[in-house]
Amino acid sequence: MADATIVGAALVPGMPHVLADAPAPSWKALGGAMREVGHRLRATGPDAVVLLSTQWFTVLGHQFQHHPNPSGTYVDENWYGYDYGHLDYDHRVDLELVERWAAETERDGMQARLTRYDDFPIDTGTIVAGHLLDPDGGLPVAQVSCNLYAPADALERIGALATTAATAVGRRVAVVVVTGLSAGLIQRWISPGEDHILEPGHDRWNRRILDLLAAGNLAGALEQREAYALAASVDSQGRALAFLAGTGAATGRADVLEYGPIWGTGAAVVHWRPQ
Amino acid sequence: MPDTTAARRRADRRLPRMSQVFRMPAAAGRVTAVAPAQPSHPAEAPEARGRIVAGYLAPHPPHLIYAENPPQNEPRSTGGWEILRWAYEEARTRLRQRHRPDVIIVHAPHWITMVGHHVNCVPNPRGRSVEPIFPHLLRYSYDFRTDVELAEAIVDEADAAGLVASRMTDPGVRVDYATIGALHLLNPDWDIPVVSLSANNNPYYYSEAGLDDMEVLGEATRRAIERTGRRAVLAASNSLSHLHWDTEPELPEDMAREHPYNHHQYQWDMRLLELIRAGRTRDLRTFIPEHIEQTAAEIKAGSLSWMLAAMGWPEIPGDVLGYWTVIGTGNAVIEWDPGRHG
Repeated sequence: MADATIVGAALVPGMPHVLADAPAPSWKALGGAMREVGHRLRATGPDAVVLLSTQWFTVLGHQFQHHPNPSGTYVDENWYGYDYGHLDYDHRVDLELVERWAAETERDGMQARLTRYDDFPIDTGTIVAGHLLDPDGGLPVAQVSCNLYAPADALERIGALATTAATAVGRRVAVVVVTGLSAGLIQRWISPGEDHILEPGHDRWNRRILDLLAAGNLAGALEQREAYALAASVDSQGRALAFLAGTGAATGRADVLEYGPIWGTGAAVVHWRPQ
Repeated sequence: MPDTTAARRRADRRLPRMSQVFRMPAAAGRVTAVAPAQPSHPAEAPEARGRIVAGYLAPHPPHLIYAENPPQNEPRSTGGWEILRWAYEEARTRLRQRHRPDVIIVHAPHWITMVGHHVNCVPNPRGRSVEPIFPHLLRYSYDFRTDVELAEAIVDEADAAGLVASRMTDPGVRVDYATIGALHLLNPDWDIPVVSLSANNNPYYYSEAGLDDMEVLGEATRRAIERTGRRAVLAASNSLSHLHWDTEPELPEDMAREHPYNHHQYQWDMRLLELIRAGRTRDLRTFIPEHIEQTAAEIKAGSLSWMLAAMGWPEIPGDVLGYWTVIGTGNAVIEWDPGRHG
């Protein structure tokens, strides 16, 4: 059932540098790869995007964006001094899918919250992904927050319930997780050309995990999630991988289109075709 | 239930330190501290020097504002967490009657900056802060004045001391709930100018703040206060033990559900408070990292260390005005008053 619902999946970075007017080579390459993945996903004709961005992190229950049209300008609290620190957004939300997803989450014994507030600050990662994966904003989104106090396997269940909900309401969906890899930031202001993965050990771990994904071994990557998180300060301790696994969207070999640094952190653009 | 697996906690404890934000040589990828510089402005005549008249540990859970039902906040409640709110009531009285500050300086862990320490230099921040983690509790309209001269002086002093420090002058940056929470609860009228400092760490990624940085930032803050001649109150916007539930009751202020996350967390908070009440402030320097390790304490964001460093780690008793939990986390409102004990 899930196979018929999911038309592809992607893992992309959420740092805004990929939108820079004067990007570092790696930022430019990552942004280009995101555009390519967006093209691939849209070409499969999804009705909606199921989205998890680790930059919308929460701690109580699982929040589901329920505003029909979040729109505005977000000024990033760290990168406000750069062109890429001011981000316009105008998203459409698939309310029926979101409501079903939240209901399935409650039915599964977890706490779900529909989040519908004017002026709610959409996170940088969600905005960045929207700009590059779906520049015309044609695809409605169903998004859940990343609860950092819930265990990773809760996110895996939330992912599975996204697929259940999409099937129930008859949606063909693309699954997108917006996450960094290693999260070690360079602790000074740099020029784009100075960017590099902060530590060689982080780089080795990132490549090891990406190799597993490329080999179609997401389960193997998940087995190493805790060690990876510990060794490379991984974004949200790798919860996005758990979510992705839960959806069932990341089966088979992944296409790692790009990998490189963003201000010291590891970033990758990865695509899974439907199996 | 919360993720309290041993593996998670081990991982959290061993993650690298994030907040080492001293300026580095261009080729370096990691932190190398440079020797703190001398103050950019040597000491002025004693009568012209400002001073810190009090410091408060001022926790910011949005639940406390929500429970107060102030006009600035849209959600309505039936109250709750009174012990902490009464503690703040006493702090407000002392602030007005005894300390009469020119400025309140707050260090807040939810203005998370990835590169360096940022200081809000916007003269009149105003807007509506819908809190992404607790939007059902905090949708707050803020409008306050920044002491820009002092804010810029802190940046200058921090920079001179070797920290990466930035002036934040963009009025579009939303003010976070830890800044709003501490400042509202200390001064709901917002009629005292403010300086707000970011936290250069992300408590959700990293287990241990760069407490050494906070020493330097605290000392830089003190020098800036002295040279601008301000009577300053400092506010460290931190909770204590910080494991908490990952769900909440239908009625958020259902106090039948409010209690310490577990006895271990509570005991470690009490040990911290005992040291504070006894005035064993120097011992806190070694105890704070241990407390963080044991309880995932929010003081890992460095606000308490920043404040005590600014005050010179005074060997005076802290007056614990109240302690209680919010969604299981430990929270205390505490005053250090050098004028009363010095």
